[in-house]
Amino acid sequence: MDRKRVPGPELTVPPLVEYALDQKRWSPQEECRHDANRQPEDLRPIYLKTGLISQASGSAYIELEKTKIACGVYGPRPIKKSGYGFSGTGTLNCEFKFATFACVKRRNHIRDPQERELSMILTQALTPAVRLELLPKSAIDVYITVLECDGLSSCFAAAITAASVALAHAGIEMIDLVAACSASYVIMDRTLSSAVPPPSTTSDSAPAAVSLRPPTIIMDADLEEEKFEEGSIMVAYMPSLNEVTHVLQNGKVDRSIVSQSVEHCIEACNKIYAVMRHALVESIDEKQTR
Amino acid sequence: MASTSISVSAAESPAFSFSASTFQKLHPVEFFRKFISQGVRPDGRLLEGFRPTTVHKNVVSTANGSAMVRIGGTTVICGVKAEVAEPKMDSPNQGYLVPNVELSPMCSSSFRPGPPSEQAQAVSEAINRVLKESKVLDLTDLCIEEGKAVWALWADVSCVSYDGNIYDAALLSVMTALSDVRIRKPTYNEGIIKVSGAEILDDENSFTLNLARTPLSATFSLFDSSMALLADANAAEEAICQGEISVTLDEKGQICALSKVGAASSSQTLLRQCIATARTRTDELRSIIRSQ
Amino acid sequence: MASTAEAVIPGQRLGHAQEYIAGSGTYLHQDFLYASVVGIKQINPSDNDGLPFLTVQRESSQSAIPDIDTIVTCKVLRINPRFASVSIMVVNGKPCTDDFQGIIRAQDVRATEKDKVKIYNSFRPGDIVRAQVVSLGDARSYYLSTAANELGVIFGTSIAGGSLVPISWQEMQCTKTKAVELRKCAKPL
Repeated sequence: MDRKRVPGPELTVPPLVEYALDQKRWSPQEECRHDANRQPEDLRPIYLKTGLISQASGSAYIELEKTKIACGVYGPRPIKKSGYGFSGTGTLNCEFKFATFACVKRRNHIRDPQERELSMILTQALTPAVRLELLPKSAIDVYITVLECDGLSSCFAAAITAASVALAHAGIEMIDLVAACSASYVIMDRTLSSAVPPPSTTSDSAPAAVSLRPPTIIMDADLEEEKFEEGSIMVAYMPSLNEVTHVLQNGKVDRSIVSQSVEHCIEACNKIYAVMRHALVESIDEKQTR
Repeated sequence: MASTSISVSAAESPAFSFSASTFQKLHPVEFFRKFISQGVRPDGRLLEGFRPTTVHKNVVSTANGSAMVRIGGTTVICGVKAEVAEPKMDSPNQGYLVPNVELSPMCSSSFRPGPPSEQAQAVSEAINRVLKESKVLDLTDLCIEEGKAVWALWADVSCVSYDGNIYDAALLSVMTALSDVRIRKPTYNEGIIKVSGAEILDDENSFTLNLARTPLSATFSLFDSSMALLADANAAEEAICQGEISVTLDEKGQICALSKVGAASSSQTLLRQCIATARTRTDELRSIIRSQ
Repeated sequence: MASTAEAVIPGQRLGHAQEYIAGSGTYLHQDFLYASVVGIKQINPSDNDGLPFLTVQRESSQSAIPDIDTIVTCKVLRINPRFASVSIMVVNGKPCTDDFQGIIRAQDVRATEKDKVKIYNSFRPGDIVRAQVVSLGDARSYYLSTAANELGVIFGTSIAGGSLVPISWQEMQCTKTKAVELRKCAKPL
């Protein structure tokens, strides 16, 4: 029981949603993406802006249509946690949090294991890019709040992108920016069956041909598309040094598809890099005109 | 800050001179007093000036109602989510309305990770009291099936950027988000609650909240040593002010809540002045919401 | 190439290591110079006809952190016979967003007669002190020194509550009561 917040009922559940029989809903059988205007390799348009958190050393806000993420960087500042010995290099801490209203089901204020895991991955993906050897005894804290999530892996990739822009905005020395992109594997074929199989039972009830068909790699999947995915991949990449800092692959899929999707992701990261560059150069211009 | 080019030297010992930002860091109260004595504040505002305020409705589609409020450098987002809960035994036909304010370490370096700080608890509690005591929402409107199921409205305020006056910003965002709430009409059948998945929501398949009143607030800080009343203090001003007066008014100008905290003393005339200024300020906020 | 205003971002390749010397805001990686901060690229000719310096002028300066030999301004928090604990508020003329902790040990207060130093005759809690970083110290605190003429107390408040003005290098006088208190004063610059 949380005594430090205004108490509400102990258990609340989202209501069951009932769809009308004649209601048109998207499924991979439609041979187009959830957003019909997007090709499999297309990303959602990215809006990226620096400097929205006035008290932070650096900050960035990223929007991929519905997905909205804010990131604040504090530091370098003294390490606040006790129990750390003398350290000749700096430490990078990342905290990743969903706002309670960011997902379909309400999230708790307290960080859950998933958020802890994502925080750790975020630290691993960003640390190679930051020149921590220049910051003895200091800590850099990166805080990320997801305000709205439309697709989990794409949201996480966007968080890495935003965090690296916020670090650069804070004036912290880095060897490169880190751009990240995600892809989902979705089997898309309208000839397979006329009935729409519910997503949870795809693997057991659908004909054997389904699992043999190579899935389509769709970039930057949204929540609807993720419901039908066989697996997903997220790649964090340093564009100008051409080095990968993190790869996260979920689900069973053929080797060749994985290497192909890593290439697709890297290609997409280069597109994202252009947006990151634009946002940072814009932040210089703003300071000069001030 | 408008003043960074001015070099301020301490009156006591003119031999040491600093840049304005260093002087502010070492002697925040002295720095501030110099501005107040001229009738202005470090950010260029007059004492009774509020910072520019914007309100945007329906910013988060995963919430039933949402609003983003900006007051100067303070940005908050309120998302209201409606979920189904069991009613309390003693009030079987009443739903829940639960406001909470989260001051995460992201929005300012003065907040630490972990359980909510005292400030966050105080703001959440103050908003809860205003909603409850001034009967903003009839909780029986949230009943689905008496004794079995009711709606629980979680009104969570997430602070994105903190620069003072969180109470005004949070209350404004909660009230705007509540006015934006649209809930799908439920059907109750043997313990199972279902809502329609229709894509377009209209008055046929969903309902909005019937708010009895919209309390909004204006907060003033007291800078004791010169008895100055500062409207809508930012974070640096809050840190050196000794008291705070918050006036919460509804659209008819009725007082819904009034609080004065801190050690600074205030007179009746000062309090009357606050209420009068709060009236114009909350009217202004109402027209900002309407123009949305 | 003239020093034109060119905005660069971290990771951007700036030139070959044989043409330039890496200055601040840049780093060397496999024969090439890269930018490590967001800013404006600048090429400054070196004094003795060597390779020109390539630097990146930061637009958003990083929060200041103390380093060895930097001059800091700090506030005395606590004193004990061995050292004074301070909170470092300004580093190299730049205010810190979060204060760092430091200590001034008795042997670092002044340059002469180190064994006769009494901390309570040198600093009092609340004093504003200018000091120099001597080492990164231990896990918590930086070690600071005031062993130079221009280092020491720059602002202080007397027991009576008045402000103190220096009258010698180890005495300060209250502006209200004219009472003399002992401090390790900084010589006004």
